[in-house]
Formats: sequence, structure tokens, C-alpha cells
Amino acid sequence: MTEAEVEDKRITLAEAAKMINDGDGLFWGGFGYQRAPIAFAHELVRQKKRNLTVYTCGSEVDLEIMAGAGVASRYEIAFSAIEALGLSYNIRRRVSEGKLAVEDYTNLAMAMRFLGGALNVPFMPLRSMMGTDLVNLRRYRGDDKLKVMDCPFTGDKICIVPSLQPDYSIVHVQRVDKVGNAQIDGIVGEDLEGSRCGKKLIILAEELIDNAEVRTRPDQTKIPAMYVDHVVILPYIAHPMMCHDYYDYDLEHLMMFHKMTRTEEGWQEYLDNFILGVDDHHGYLVLVGWENLHKLRATKPWGY
Amino acid sequence: MMVEYTKTEFLIACASSHVKDGEMVFGGTGMPLLAALLAKETHAPRSNLISEAGFIDARPREVPLSVADSRYYYGCSASIGLIETLGFLLQAGRIDVGFLGAAQLDEYGNLNTSYIGPYDAPKVKLPGSGGGNDIASSAKRLIIMMAHDKRKFLKKLDYMTSPGFLDGPGAREKWSLVGGGPEVVITDMCQMDFHPDTKKIRLKSVHPGFTVQDIQDNVMFDLIIPDDVPTTEEPSQEQIDIMHKLDPNGIYLGKGG
Repeated sequence: MTEAEVEDKRITLAEAAKMINDGDGLFWGGFGYQRAPIAFAHELVRQKKRNLTVYTCGSEVDLEIMAGAGVASRYEIAFSAIEALGLSYNIRRRVSEGKLAVEDYTNLAMAMRFLGGALNVPFMPLRSMMGTDLVNLRRYRGDDKLKVMDCPFTGDKICIVPSLQPDYSIVHVQRVDKVGNAQIDGIVGEDLEGSRCGKKLIILAEELIDNAEVRTRPDQTKIPAMYVDHVVILPYIAHPMMCHDYYDYDLEHLMMFHKMTRTEEGWQEYLDNFILGVDDHHGYLVLVGWENLHKLRATKPWGY
Repeated sequence: MMVEYTKTEFLIACASSHVKDGEMVFGGTGMPLLAALLAKETHAPRSNLISEAGFIDARPREVPLSVADSRYYYGCSASIGLIETLGFLLQAGRIDVGFLGAAQLDEYGNLNTSYIGPYDAPKVKLPGSGGGNDIASSAKRLIIMMAHDKRKFLKKLDYMTSPGFLDGPGAREKWSLVGGGPEVVITDMCQMDFHPDTKKIRLKSVHPGFTVQDIQDNVMFDLIIPDDVPTTEEPSQEQIDIMHKLDPNGIYLGKGG
């Protein structure tokens, strides 16, 4: 078989963030503490993006950063908190100030909206939310938030949610080859649907592997290259969150982040130090300290 | 011999007693997770612990801080994703028990985890539904765990995030909800369940050290009081020991516990 010349989709983090226009909509990958594209959130902040709409189920520190720094003005999400650590103070403040509008859905509803977008159908039915204020109360989407209808086949009540095809999908994975075959270990959350629903897909990966390596474990390729427009390779993209089999969350940093965001002054200090005070992701990693980062390396077989 | 226990330990032991052997359980994090794990270590070894992030049949050796924490991964028998757990399993009616907490609860067992204060000018934005509404809509049974605070047990919620029995008998059927609704509310003072006909909240048992009057004084909705209100069973030393083995660093149990 002849080896065809393959496209190299690699670009830098700064180049990737530069593509995002003010006012764009982004599918935001990762779930809970897992595979959060924190480095991308930092770069959006450094490039002073504004009025982004972010679509996701339950991202945490990244949503706090984008709300706090004024990068995002609209969230269509199901969940905002740092789970076991507690409430999201930045989001809470920006909502109270009227600077952030949150259109509330459930995790399944958001996953279905991404699935609908990926399948290129206008809406998806689901059996959650009915009878509650998730149906009754709406913000900027108004009538287009969702509808409850009688199923045309059975007559039963069913909820339908509008599908999403945002400008970009931002997804963080463990490994990728330069063509874009992206491999995810551990859970996928809603990233299979989310990676396929955006008009463009940017993959952020911890590790570059050769296409030959992809072909030794094709079952791990959760996002084949044909969906992928751009690839960014960097270490510790999710810090202070975790990346399965690569590194654990940085609990000390997470607790410091959560504590500092309690007040606007504390958050501004964090923002100035860790995000605006460094030139790029490498600067951030140096500031966190390589010694600290190495301590977070995952141990086999635990994955953290 | 008197067994000494904290409020948290009591809540966890009490909640774990509602998990039956062989059941499919949505675990989450925090106290519900410890309750599900305790059940698995004691009377329900064949229960299947599922995290909505995608972990199935989980046996974490350290307590996860997130439903997506890799601590859920090692030892689980499948690691998939959200459409799998909330869609194929939960919405398809395959989940027996879900656990939820809330900032507010009303007399039909409806839950608020979204906003304190008016929707248009909220005083506090809470975490929101996450998978909570999905679980309350579609799990066969719902176990609600809350710290007992009078201001949390209200006639009218600031925001209804997740369905209990909505506005009463027949409401879940009207909206074609898959699951059966709340079975029990466990607080650190009592257990409450729901009258089978009216679907209104009623006192089920009072924890040792509290009286029926204490409970009535500490809820803001009307509570049905049956003639005979038993005392809730106390946790055993074995249960407490297992709990601390599951959470040796006191992440959820607290250092002093």
C-alpha cells in the first residue's frame, strides 16, 4: 500500500484561540473533574474574548474562569459547582450582577442537544424536566428553550429540546496523531456527541502519537480524524483538574482556587497571577511548578 | 453497649438501609456515595453502583470527589459515557434507586437545587440540576438526603428543579414520567415518606434523641403525623467502622467523626 501524504493539523494554543470570534458559541468538553480544557479557557481570557456562549453539561473550574473573566456572557448548562468542594462563586456573582445569563437544562437534556446536532436533526425528545420550573421558567431563549408536546405516535407527553451546532467544539483528550485521530481513556462524558456537533472541532491533547500507534489500538479512537479541524498538543491542559491515566487533580491548587474565588478581590488576584500574569500555558506550568506537576502523575493501574 | 455516632454517620447508615441487594444504584458523590458503598459492603453486595459520568459497577478504593473522578474507574466493569448512564440505563427505566440532596424540599417531595430567591434576581445561584432532574424523573425510587434545617422544608419552593410528586396524585403519570418518585426523605432528625393516596409528606420515624414535636417545630409545611411513629434504628459499630474504612481520610465523614 502506498503511504499518502497526510495533513498535519497541529497549531498552537494561541492560534486556536485566535480563531474564536467574540459572540461565538462553543461546545465545551470534559465532565466534572475529568479532561477539562482549562488551558483553552486561560488563552481565551488572555486574548480578551467577549460574549461567548458556552454549551456543556457540567464543567466546573473552566466555567468559573470564563464567567469570572467576562469571556462568556451566556451559559447553556446543567450544573455549576466544584462538586465536593462547593458552590461556584464566580458564576454566582456574575449572575447576581446580571453579567451572565444561565439557561438551565439537565445533563441528559444537554447531551441530547449535542446528539441532535451531531445527527443533524433539529430537535431531540427526552423524558426529563416535565412538570418542573426547568420547563416553566426561561431566560434569553424564551419559547426556544424547549417544548413539551404530545407524542404524535403515542399521545404521551414528551419534552423536546433544540439541537445544537455551535461554531466550535473544544474537546480535550489524552492522545492524538497529527491528522487528528483522538483517543480518550476512561469515561467519555458527553464528548462523543459534543465533538461531532460543532461546525469546527479543535482537539487539545496531552500527547502526540504516531498514526501507526493509533492503528495498534483503534478501539481507543473515540473521535476519528475526519471530524477534526485543528489539533493542539500541550501537557497538563486540565490542571488543576484531572486527565485519566495521565495526572490527578491538584487538590491543593483547587482548594486555593475555590477559596480565592469566594471574594471578587481574591478572584482578581488569582486571575492576575495565574492567567494574565503569564504569557502562555508554559508560563502557567512554570508558575505552578514542575515539581508539583510531577507529583500529580498518574500511577498504573489506578489511573490517577 | 451504646454506639457513638455523628449526624453524618447516622444519615449514611440510615440511607444505606434503603438500598436492596441486586439493585442498580446511582451513586453520585458525598454522603449518597458512602451510603451506596456501605450497603454494598453489608447487606447489598450485589448492588450495582453507577456514576452518571459513565462508570458502571464501580468499586472505588478511595472516595471520588467528582462523579467523573478517576477514583471511580479502577475496578469498575465498564467505563462509558453520559448517554449510556442517563439515557440507556436511567431513562430506559433500568435504575432502581437514585440519591439526591437539595437546598429546599416541599410537601410533595419536589426539590430545589437551582436558585434561592426570585428567578429573575436570584440571591444565590446553586449548582442546578446536573443529572438530578433526570434521576428524579426516571429512577424507580428516589432517596432524598438533607441536613435538617427548618428553612429548607417549605410550602413553596423558590424554584422547582426536580420532580417529587409535583402537584399531587396523578401528576407524574400526566407528564409520563418514567420513575416512581421519592420514597423517603432522610434528615439528621427524622425520616419522612409520602402518603400513598395523597402523596403528601408524612413522618416515618424519629431519630433517637428527638421527639415528634421537635420535627413539627422544624418544618414549614404540614406534616402528616401517624398515630404510631417509631424510633429510627441506630447505626451499628460495624457500619461505622466500614464507613471509616471507605473514607479513611474523612473527606466526607469529617476528621473528627
